[in-house]
Amino acid sequence: MEYEFQFHYILQAWPVLMEGLKVTVQLTVIANIIALTLGFVIALLVLSKYWLLRAPFALMIELFRCTPVLVQILWFFYCVPILFGIYLAPLPMGILALGINLACFNAEAYRAAIQAVPREQLDAGVALGFSPLQRVRYVVFPHAFRAALPVLITNGITLFQQSALVAIVALSDLMYMGRQVATQSYRPIETYTAVALIYFAISFPVSRVAAWVEQRLDAARA
Amino acid sequence: MTEIQPLVEMRGVHKNYGTLQVLSGIDLEMWPGDRLVVIGPSGGGKSTLLRIMMGLEDIRRGEIDLLGKRYITGHEQSGKTRIDSTLRKQVGMVFQHYTLFPHLTIISNLTLAAIKTRGMPKPAALDKGMQLLKRLGLESKAQSYPSQLSGGQKQRVAIARALMLDPRLMLFDEVTSALDPELVAEVEAVMLELAEQQMPMMLVTHDMWFAKNIASRVIFCAGGVVVEDGPPEQVLGDPVNPRTREFIERVFHIKT
Amino acid sequence: MTIDFSFLARYQDALLMGLGMTLRLTLIAFALGIVWGFVLALLRNSSIAPVRWIAAVYVEFFRGTPVLIQIFWIFYCMPIFLGTDLSNFTAAVLCLTLYGGAIMSETFRAGMKSIGREQYDACHALGLSPWTRATRIVLPQATLRSVPVLLSNGIGIFKESSLVSAIGMMELMFIGTTISNRTGRPVEVFTAVALIYFVVAFPLTRLVTWLEKRILKRFAI
Ligand SMILES: Nc1ncnc2c1ncn2[C@@H]1O[C@H](COP(=O)(O)OP(=O)(O)O)[C@@H](O)[C@H]1O
Ligand SMILES: [Mg+2]
Repeated sequence: MEYEFQFHYILQAWPVLMEGLKVTVQLTVIANIIALTLGFVIALLVLSKYWLLRAPFALMIELFRCTPVLVQILWFFYCVPILFGIYLAPLPMGILALGINLACFNAEAYRAAIQAVPREQLDAGVALGFSPLQRVRYVVFPHAFRAALPVLITNGITLFQQSALVAIVALSDLMYMGRQVATQSYRPIETYTAVALIYFAISFPVSRVAAWVEQRLDAARA
Repeated sequence: MTEIQPLVEMRGVHKNYGTLQVLSGIDLEMWPGDRLVVIGPSGGGKSTLLRIMMGLEDIRRGEIDLLGKRYITGHEQSGKTRIDSTLRKQVGMVFQHYTLFPHLTIISNLTLAAIKTRGMPKPAALDKGMQLLKRLGLESKAQSYPSQLSGGQKQRVAIARALMLDPRLMLFDEVTSALDPELVAEVEAVMLELAEQQMPMMLVTHDMWFAKNIASRVIFCAGGVVVEDGPPEQVLGDPVNPRTREFIERVFHIKT
Repeated sequence: MTIDFSFLARYQDALLMGLGMTLRLTLIAFALGIVWGFVLALLRNSSIAPVRWIAAVYVEFFRGTPVLIQIFWIFYCMPIFLGTDLSNFTAAVLCLTLYGGAIMSETFRAGMKSIGREQYDACHALGLSPWTRATRIVLPQATLRSVPVLLSNGIGIFKESSLVSAIGMMELMFIGTTISNRTGRPVEVFTAVALIYFVVAFPLTRLVTWLEKRILKRFAI
């Protein structure tokens, strides 16, 4: 094989790729903020005493967990405007789709963590005369958040990678820009390698953080 | 007249984990029929002593004879420990936490080692396993999995699993401390029965009543050495050493 | 606009064919991925340090980059290295296998790690040989513990397989998009496609939960 690597193409395309990375990071960060809060609310709803509250959200979680993200993204971009009359710019729509997807995954993590909150902690909350809302705020949430943290971080990184799919609906994120550069320059190897490395350079350190947090939690529990 | 030789003879056994010195020169003899109860403060090296006897740990220095033959030698210069694997097969051990194999049925837990390491034919092993289970009143559990048994039943199976291999010395490390109080008696009963049959054993327990009943000798280990060694009435009832006295008063809540 | 799913009946065969291809890709990649994942798990426990490092870098890289870019890389770049074109089927299977293997090697590793020290002590006390210990105690426990997660990984591959539509593989996602473009009715088409994925994946996730409970119960020692 005679292939001449020409990495100077990447240097030329670097500003363009960084533009894309900015969009990717925006998508990821805002979707994560939405999902960290919305996910907890959904988890509480799914654990509700009332069947009518539980059922729709349980179904929602399963629907988002059991279908490909790509289908979800296409569904949001093509169907939400038609069905609900909501017309959003591509970036907010991408954030909405990914945020709700991630909220469902986070809700699962929160749910498991909430169920693992020690009974005595809840009893202590009652004994101290907290209102139900205060118990959630001061007892349940801190416990559940701590216990769920490694999974929440892992989910967040997964979303960072999944966000590449918005390129398919022409949202100009890192993946999309990479694809543009690759086709225009006829240098797919250099470009896709560089793009992959950029994704890796961000998600790998964060995954180490998740592993570290998990280790610390395990150590605290032991 | 044949001279009685010690079953176990430890001389100057030293053990450390990194910089932590756990045993600093243990000298100990056990005679056939001895039932040696080891007591001492938590972290004092009781488990370590039993694990060394089982050949689970290296030692830094010292030597251990078993049945009159050299069993374990710690070579300080080379940092190596020689363990005679034939002699190791004469020792059986039951641990504090259940160590049954969760993916095997009770009967397979019993027979696996007999078949694989002692070359016992499968039918003979099954036969022997069923007999042991019958003795313990557990024959109906032969096809169950460990997770379907109570803690007391699991520990009795663990004892049976060790007995399958006809050990000449049994080691019990706090085998009842993980159990609910109402399950302790059934496990202790099995051990008392073994004692009646003159099975030599070395055991760690925090149960005063049980220690008195089963022991032919009690040793008090602290600071990595044997502080006191004698018959149960003396060590538990009227210890000579002030450290032993203090420990017994504190742990067993009795004035000596 | 009115929502009417009935026109989809005309595309029933096409959608089923797409689902067939999706399942075929998933099953092949899952089977190959299990083998590759097991090998990777062994390599990561190798006594030769460089072997461990290379395996670790491989796994982290496939776990740390979007699958879409892995697909593009394999489809557009591999041929340049190999000097021959890859069919999109080969590229799809290759990508999902390489990715699935990385994911599943972690599952195997976790299964091996979850076997506590007491189990090794017990083997030792019973005098079991290293071979008996490996084949009768460690491997069965690690495998049993890994089964539910491996199945979850399989469901993951099933969902990720939708991405190979981006290199023109005619599976469920690709066919859905094509029908949507042709008929101009994305709501019905994408909803239907989503439901088809759901109908396959959801029962499998229930199976995973059920298996997990059963296996946990067995190991609740
Ligand atoms: N595997 C090990 N690594 C490091 N230190 C250990 C290990 N096992 C035991 N120790 C330490 O050795 C000391 C003696 O432990 P152990 O024999 O278990 O005491 P006991 O059974 O009398 O409570 C303790 O301080 C313990 O923390
Ligand atoms: Mg101990």
